[in-house]
Amino acid sequence: MKKFYRRGMLLIMFLLAMAFLVLLALNEAQAATPSPFYQQEISGTVTTTNGEHLLGVSILVKNKQYGTTTGSSGQYSIRANLQDTLVFSSIGYKTQEIALHGRTVLDVFLEEDIAALKNIEINAGYYSTTARESTGNISRVTAEEIKYQPVISPLQALQGRMAGVEITSGGANPGGAPTIRIRGTNSLRREGNYPLYIIDGVPISSVPVESNSALSGPGIDPLNNLNPANIKSIEVLKDADATAIYGSRGANGVVLISTKQGNRKGLEASIYTGTSSLSKKLDLLSTQEYLRVRREAFQNDGVEPNNFNAYDLVLWDQNRNTDWQEFFFGGKAEVTNASLAFSGGEKNTSYRIGGSWFSQGTIYPGDYDYHKGTGNVALNHTSEDNRFEINLNANYGIDRNNLTGNSGLNITTILLPPNAPSVFNPDGALNWEDWSEAGLTNPLEGYFNTTSTQTKNLNANLLLSYEIVTGLRLKSSFGYADFTSDELWKLPAQSYNPAFSPVNNSSHLSTNRSSWIVEPQLTYDHSFERLETNILLGGTWQKNQSARSSFQGSGYASESLIGNLGSAVSIINASSGETEYKYAAIFSRIGLNWDEKYFLNLTGRRDGSSRFGPNNRFASFGAIGAAWIISKESFFGNSTDFLSFAKLRGSYGSTGNDQIGDYGYLDAYQATTGPGGLYPTALANPDYSWEVNKKLEAAVALGFFRDRVNLGVSWYRNKSSNQLVGYSLPYLTGFSSVQANLPATVQNKGIEIELATINVDKERFQWRTNLNLSFPKNELLSYPDIDQSSYANTYRVGQPLNIALLFKFDGLDPETGLYSVSDANGDEKLDFEDRILIKNLNREFFGGLNNSLRYGNFSLDFLLQFVKQEGILSNFQAGTNSNILSSILGKSDLQRYSASYQGSIAYQNVLNSDFAYTDAKFLRLKTLSLGYDFPQNWVKRLHAKQIRIFLHGQNLLTWTPYEGLDPESPTSPLSLGNLRSITTGLQFNF
Amino acid sequence: MKSLKHTYPYIILILSLFIYSCEDFVDLDPPSDQLIGEEVFKNQATVESALIGIYHQLFQLDYSGGGRSSIATLAGISADNIQNISSGNISRMQFQEHEIDPDNVDNLNTWSSAYNMVYATNSFLEGLENTENLDQEFKQQMAGQVLFVRAFTYFFLVNLYGDVPLVLSTDYRANQLASRSSQNAVYDQILADLVLALEQAPQEYINGERISVNRQVVRAFLSRVYLYMENWQEAEKYSTQVINDTGNYQLMEDLNQVFLANSLEAIWQISPIGAGGLATQTNEGNFLIIDPIFSFFAAVKLEETFVSEFDTIDKRLQNWVGYNESLDAHYVHKYKIRLSNVFPILEYSMVLRLSEQYLIRAEARARQGDLTGAIEDIDKIRTRAGLELLADINPDLSQEELLTEILSQRRKELFAEWGHRWFDLKRLGLANQVLGGNDPLWEDTDIFYPIPEDERKKNPNLTQNEGY
Repeated sequence: MKKFYRRGMLLIMFLLAMAFLVLLALNEAQAATPSPFYQQEISGTVTTTNGEHLLGVSILVKNKQYGTTTGSSGQYSIRANLQDTLVFSSIGYKTQEIALHGRTVLDVFLEEDIAALKNIEINAGYYSTTARESTGNISRVTAEEIKYQPVISPLQALQGRMAGVEITSGGANPGGAPTIRIRGTNSLRREGNYPLYIIDGVPISSVPVESNSALSGPGIDPLNNLNPANIKSIEVLKDADATAIYGSRGANGVVLISTKQGNRKGLEASIYTGTSSLSKKLDLLSTQEYLRVRREAFQNDGVEPNNFNAYDLVLWDQNRNTDWQEFFFGGKAEVTNASLAFSGGEKNTSYRIGGSWFSQGTIYPGDYDYHKGTGNVALNHTSEDNRFEINLNANYGIDRNNLTGNSGLNITTILLPPNAPSVFNPDGALNWEDWSEAGLTNPLEGYFNTTSTQTKNLNANLLLSYEIVTGLRLKSSFGYADFTSDELWKLPAQSYNPAFSPVNNSSHLSTNRSSWIVEPQLTYDHSFERLETNILLGGTWQKNQSARSSFQGSGYASESLIGNLGSAVSIINASSGETEYKYAAIFSRIGLNWDEKYFLNLTGRRDGSSRFGPNNRFASFGAIGAAWIISKESFFGNSTDFLSFAKLRGSYGSTGNDQIGDYGYLDAYQATTGPGGLYPTALANPDYSWEVNKKLEAAVALGFFRDRVNLGVSWYRNKSSNQLVGYSLPYLTGFSSVQANLPATVQNKGIEIELATINVDKERFQWRTNLNLSFPKNELLSYPDIDQSSYANTYRVGQPLNIALLFKFDGLDPETGLYSVSDANGDEKLDFEDRILIKNLNREFFGGLNNSLRYGNFSLDFLLQFVKQEGILSNFQAGTNSNILSSILGKSDLQRYSASYQGSIAYQNVLNSDFAYTDAKFLRLKTLSLGYDFPQNWVKRLHAKQIRIFLHGQNLLTWTPYEGLDPESPTSPLSLGNLRSITTGLQFNF
Repeated sequence: MKSLKHTYPYIILILSLFIYSCEDFVDLDPPSDQLIGEEVFKNQATVESALIGIYHQLFQLDYSGGGRSSIATLAGISADNIQNISSGNISRMQFQEHEIDPDNVDNLNTWSSAYNMVYATNSFLEGLENTENLDQEFKQQMAGQVLFVRAFTYFFLVNLYGDVPLVLSTDYRANQLASRSSQNAVYDQILADLVLALEQAPQEYINGERISVNRQVVRAFLSRVYLYMENWQEAEKYSTQVINDTGNYQLMEDLNQVFLANSLEAIWQISPIGAGGLATQTNEGNFLIIDPIFSFFAAVKLEETFVSEFDTIDKRLQNWVGYNESLDAHYVHKYKIRLSNVFPILEYSMVLRLSEQYLIRAEARARQGDLTGAIEDIDKIRTRAGLELLADINPDLSQEELLTEILSQRRKELFAEWGHRWFDLKRLGLANQVLGGNDPLWEDTDIFYPIPEDERKKNPNLTQNEGY
């Protein structure tokens, strides 16, 4: 039976496609009918001042009752008398009236109307809206803000640019997935907090891709293979009104990525190059200072230094000085990017073909790099009568990431004693002797290991649409996505101490994710007098497949054969898995607009997902959103100069979270690590279902001084309940927990402020400022019997999810001179019950301030990112055999220098006390771009439209009292976060 | 033509709605890398895989794996054969000092892993029971082996903890509040399972590998269970049946060959296959052997008082006890391979072996007054160890003296294997005398480990053992 349906589906898809092709043919035939007007034909192209072709510009013949609109490549033709005047208007642009004066060809440039930005179209997924009319909360970042940033994944370019969107870097290695949280953490499960990613209408998995390489922590970002320069806009949907149409997948917000279309003619080329390096170096002790501290520590402890407890004092060279920070992480990573796109088209057809090349090095010692190549095609066609449309988008990317395969090369190596022996012998081999003398392993053990990860990603979408009768449009979108990753980790014997007689090993991992989606939709737009209605009805069928396999090869005869499986003596630890996910839904939207004053938006979705047990497969989600433009009311009078726009907006609704493993409801047996065995891996709960996130929002939008100052303030409260967590069980049931929905509730509420001002708007000088500010508040409202769950020592009811449970610092013990913390319950031992203080680790507020200035041909853009938060003190244990910040020496509230076990215990305890926390706010010059456009007369001589030279800086400056490496990771002072990059480049438009 | 054009969209619409009507769309076939329980028990090959899975998992699970949190290690440390090298490992030190905290993590690991295996066996037995596809004889052969593993696991639970919850199904809703059953009830279940296993288990090992359960394995274990129950006749009966099977089982003359994979002395072993990496061989080898160079990895050593009990000519001292100079410590050297990533696997983890059967029979005979028979059995062990025969040097031992000699031989023969010494001292009522003598903190109640605190938090019906 199932097979029948599957075949049926294929057949129907084929029929749908054929039907559209037939319609297309019919339309072309009809195009030849002659026009009824007896006038001259006027034609031309409408472009923006940047040279981009404008679609849908309305062209009216002045004082006459007819007009037309431009096609997808900005072309138009209209019949008019040669004495007529044409009126060109488009939302977001200044209207122009141009008299024909006998011309039959008229090319027009429309200037952006910055005061009317709120009329620009915003992508809401299945439909579009404008900032003026929207009932929901959608943030938007455009190509201008993304394209020059030397980042691999476009997400990284969003940092600091959107209210309510918190993005933290995936580390200093190229390709690591950043963490993105839209309006906070909703799920108690770490893996349940990813937003939904949609590229040109195709949903792709936002879960980072598994890796054994240096990216094993953050995982590989599934968006790496996109070309940031080919992105038109990224919209983030936040509230119920915007996300409920995504039903069971919208709980954590939705990220919509739209790629560029062929709406300008000509060639665009850009190239930039530069370097990245660690943005901060810690000020650590020199050998002299370090050894002095060590000697004092032993004196304090009353212990005689010897070979075992003080090899650095007794055994090692007392004058050697290595800056390990510089040695391990002081490198400069070269970054180069080139991209090229060609757009063109005829009257009703436009296309864009592009490609890019990107490469980046790493800051580690050794020869590692990241390369990526991308290609993209966009094709748009509109029939003569604008009834039929076809849009095709395809993006392909391939990258190779060559990284160190040495899991020991982590940041803690910078704390090695500065007089530690060399890690290499003069011949380049690893130095084992000097280190083992002290009973140590060479910290670079594994140095010659490498990983090479290649990923390929195809993302394609075809959208067909036909207007059946005026206002009624049938659309169908067909999407396909395919992502593969292949990884080889080489572990040659020379990386390891020969005393252990190591052999050459390899570790292999490959993953594949593919999905297809079909979404037929029917839209109906109609105006009844003052009531405008937009109705949408659609369905979704989606199927995802993912597969992984991994194994290890061992005993290669020589290093050069590693990875060649035929030469491995044994292949071990093989494992593979495949999962499937199917999803079907029906969704609908009714948008009502009364007199452009009152707006009502109803959205709903009924979802079926294979991730849930047979008893709970289907559920419904929906939202209501409303807006009232007060400034349109008559009592408001004619828009005053001071308050030119006022809108109230609100929404309420529910979305779901289906981010749980596939097949979780099955009583499953999995393969054992030993060959040929099956073993039950978890308890099965056939009743489990999705988490539900109920979102409430109220907002006000105001425009001042003829909309030159725009202020938006939103308040939201999201309650995520029915949390799917491990319901804890005694082990005698076989396992410690079973996945079940608990009436636990997480609340995120907050205020977001967005302010956009046009400070100066003169012909030669323009200056705009954008500010976004978010005050998030997260709380675990309830969790029945949390004490007995596996979260007992992680979460506290009534507190945020991101907390630290801490001892109370009790000052220095007057007898020992060491830290002491309170034994709160007086039971003579220190354990979790004594951790009575709760520290909120969430950001108190965060935001970004962006300024764009244009003076003549010069432009300057800079973004300041700021965060208010607390963080943990940097390693402040003086006296042990690891290096410390030199600032620690001057501090009087620290314990005495000590190398003793008691000293370490005291330090570990105080590290988990309120003493260890400090202000970690920061203000960062996140991006700075300086550009210069060559004068038009030069440019014309080169037959170009635009030539621009630019200088771009990323993470140039950070102001913070925090002493760790990157305040973006305030709880791990030693974390390689954002690199500082400086690039220069050129852009040509022909 | 025109009318046709207008009908197309409607056709598409109708077709679209038709697709939606199939709610079956979100039904999935089971994944390829896992099987639903129901599917596993539909055919013979997958049932065999599930059985192999249980044997593999015995190596991976803490209580049975022979590693850090295994019964061999923990009960070994609790008794007087093995001790910790440094007092830094607080959790293991609590076993040595008999001051086990109810939230001790090793204790929890042993408990939880044993019950995880109980779940797997219950799931297997239920699966078999509910399937109708399989041949009856095949089903019995499978069930017999799994019943054995369940009984084997409960045997250790009841000896470590005393009364324990007797969980015989997979339904977590029913089991989560289970209370403790009496030791007698648990022993009744163990016997019931073993008796059934003896009927149903295959005569031969699967593929000749001594890692599956056959009827001799069941008999060998039955003889131990009856010994613990002080049913001397039955203990003698079953050990005799194993000892007489000389075609399959013999004492290895060379003590260095006893612990090899499928050695003739082995009755039941656990294969470390699947661990991978440098730990391709047994956990016992990895954990117990002290490397001559990298001695700082070492965690446990043999107690000197125990080592000094050996006669200097005892081959077991020469072959099974190693010495590390830098630590001045003796260590268990029954297994010879500490770290290796070389295939094939040379050593398997030993669970049941023939010399124990001789020792069981010697004890059972001595208890029944057959002193000559007992001496005969003990001399088998003594000869192999290179010691003089009791029959020659001391044929007139009293029953009591003979029992002392048997206990001493058990200690020297079976040290560091599956907690024999700890259980012997307990069942013979000698724990207070032997262990209490050296440990000022010793209390009578220390003979049982505490029920893990975590477990009692989640199941209020679980009582704690006395003294905790």
